[in-house]
Amino acid sequence: MSKIIVVTSGKGGVGKTTSTAAIGAGLAMRGKSTCVIDFDVGLRNLDMIMGCERRVVFDFINVIQGEARLNQALIKDRRLENLSILPASQTRDKDALTKEGVEKVLNELREQFDYIVCDSPAGIERGAQLAMHFADEAIVVTNPEVSSVRDSDRVLGLLSSKTHRAETGQDPIKPHLLLTRYDTARVAKGEMMPLEDVLEILAIPLLGIVPESPAVLRASNVGTPVVLEGKSPAASAYEDAVSRLMGEQIEMRVQRPERPGLLSRLMRREA
Amino acid sequence: MNSHTPTDSRDAAVDTAPAPFNLRSRFITAVVVKLSGPVGEPFYSALDLMIRQAPHFFVGAPLVIDVELASSLQDKADFLRLAREMRNRRLFAIGIQNGTEEQSVAASHAGLLALQGGRDTALEAKRPKDRTAQAPDSTKVPDPPQDPAKVETLIVTDPVRSGQRVFAGNGDLIVVNSVSAGAELVAHGNIHVYGAMRGRALAGVNGDTAARIFCQSLEAELIAISGLYKTSDDFDPSVLKQRTQAYLQDDTLCLDILK
Repeated sequence: MSKIIVVTSGKGGVGKTTSTAAIGAGLAMRGKSTCVIDFDVGLRNLDMIMGCERRVVFDFINVIQGEARLNQALIKDRRLENLSILPASQTRDKDALTKEGVEKVLNELREQFDYIVCDSPAGIERGAQLAMHFADEAIVVTNPEVSSVRDSDRVLGLLSSKTHRAETGQDPIKPHLLLTRYDTARVAKGEMMPLEDVLEILAIPLLGIVPESPAVLRASNVGTPVVLEGKSPAASAYEDAVSRLMGEQIEMRVQRPERPGLLSRLMRREA
Repeated sequence: MNSHTPTDSRDAAVDTAPAPFNLRSRFITAVVVKLSGPVGEPFYSALDLMIRQAPHFFVGAPLVIDVELASSLQDKADFLRLAREMRNRRLFAIGIQNGTEEQSVAASHAGLLALQGGRDTALEAKRPKDRTAQAPDSTKVPDPPQDPAKVETLIVTDPVRSGQRVFAGNGDLIVVNSVSAGAELVAHGNIHVYGAMRGRALAGVNGDTAARIFCQSLEAELIAISGLYKTSDDFDPSVLKQRTQAYLQDDTLCLDILK
């Protein structure tokens, strides 16, 4: 049974596209056939992060509007044979997305792929709502600061009320928290929110903690998902997150833990 | 008043067959129509107007006619006519109250109960001290709680997230989880939050000054009862993150730590 996972956050710039690319690639590395979809119509970025921008011929909107077949628009990744990308259109806007069109494309993708990872645009408008609408699980990307946490909370509310699963009374979308750009040194100085505070407010299971790392920006600049760009703390954090997404129990590792007891607290949270 | 259960061997023979009926007590709440004068055309047109304005208000509600000020209703025929006219409007009078002895007899001949005892709820909203300081009056039959059709408690077990609004239009609102900053709880009655209360809570929104707000941890952005509000800036720092109740006293919104 294939799974549709939306990567969402409400707030912009927290690392949705980076996380979509890393998790999509991570799933493909684990042998799962995976498709990543860019829902950010008009501001497409995922193809750049994935390093395939020059190979885009047809896009998501072309498929929705019947101007191209799905397999014409899907781009196969050159590094991972299990990974495909469905890029967004840069010349249209979010109004070109229709609920019926999105559903049709997703149903077609379900037949081909184990995992369909939807990269949501920022905000809570049409694009973001359609990206989450048909999801089975959600990865809520959050930075350890108040406005990001507040926006994530808002998005969690939408996930539990405005989505297909909520409207048809099915099991609710399973939410996962992915804390990104976590800097233990700045948390210790009181410049960032500690993990415990974020978990207390959002009260959803933790999928992973991705440390602030120059490797992330470096990978983006060269168009490679961070998990394919050699060993870095961020890459191992994403790999762990992928394992947990696939249902494995993995110990939560925080890079450079700054005080004793943090790890045991994390383990308790996870249980 | 429970169904009959055999406890005695003498009953054994009788009890092999199911009892033809069981007795149970039941409280019902009736709508009292207090007549303010003779029953004539003006009364019926006023009744029609009210039904037009609130077509569902009377549906299925048992009515009791208060005849204290309607001495013109005397004969069985008067009561029969009144009951028939009400039935034509799909209103069901079950009895009268506050009648004279003659009126009670005439009403019972017309098939209406002559009710005794009981109290009407006040016409206007009660003051807070009415509800809290009222000693039980042993000489009177206690009122049934309140109309179950009109008062419904809304229970929410999921977290109330930022941007969500929960409205309890028929009574109390109970949240058995946390309420996020940017979420809003609105209730005609009381609000209980068994979790951290970080959003906004507005109780007694249609003017019930006796409504209260209770929470496990007060971190709210705004608390309001019957339109009187306080924002977190106005909270005494000692109540923050404490188990707290909010209530109105002399038109002042008070926040107290629950012991």
